[in-house]
Amino acid sequence: MSKKEFNKTSKCRFCRMGVDEVDYKDSIYLPKLATSQGKLFSRKRSGNCAHHQHSVKVSIKRARFMALLPYVA
Amino acid sequence: MRMYEGLFLIDNAHASTEWDNVVKHIQDILQKNGAEILKTEKWGEKKLAYKIKSHKRGTYLLIHFNAKNSAITPIRKNFQLSDYIVRFLIVKDDKIEDLSQIGAVAPAVEKDVNKIPEIPVVDMLVENDVSV
Repeated sequence: MSKKEFNKTSKCRFCRMGVDEVDYKDSIYLPKLATSQGKLFSRKRSGNCAHHQHSVKVSIKRARFMALLPYVA
Repeated sequence: MRMYEGLFLIDNAHASTEWDNVVKHIQDILQKNGAEILKTEKWGEKKLAYKIKSHKRGTYLLIHFNAKNSAITPIRKNFQLSDYIVRFLIVKDDKIEDLSQIGAVAPAVEKDVNKIPEIPVVDMLVENDVSV
């Protein structure tokens, strides 16, 4: 297997989907990027690129403020 | 002018009895400050992730509007004084150009749900094969 082949698809799920910014109202993906306790997953665990991990961080914090996600569960 | 998106968490006692009044009240505050309302959307009643001012459930209302930069502070102050609103969040929203896109964002994302678990699994297998 050549390394080039699996470098073609990005590990970041949002890059693959072509999402520009993650939305804080997104009730499908945001819970998947936090533990059952409500802690954020690390960049290593979530596989997100720097840009998307940043926007995940911001949008989870917004969702917490609006009580869509828990601070601590 | 700039496009904003406001999400409002409304007290359920008011939302169930006088929903139209509440929506009008919020729209009036926006319009008094020179905002132009593009779209209002009701999310319906939801259970909150944690208690806010002893509310366990609440109704969400999403409004997209155009407003001047300077109008946001008075709008915020007015919402803080409102009895109907438990909590609100106003966010800049310049990325969406067509209003028709607003409704279409969520379903487009849902289609890709099945794709995501596949690719990491394949990566793992390939790496393992190489190391063995």
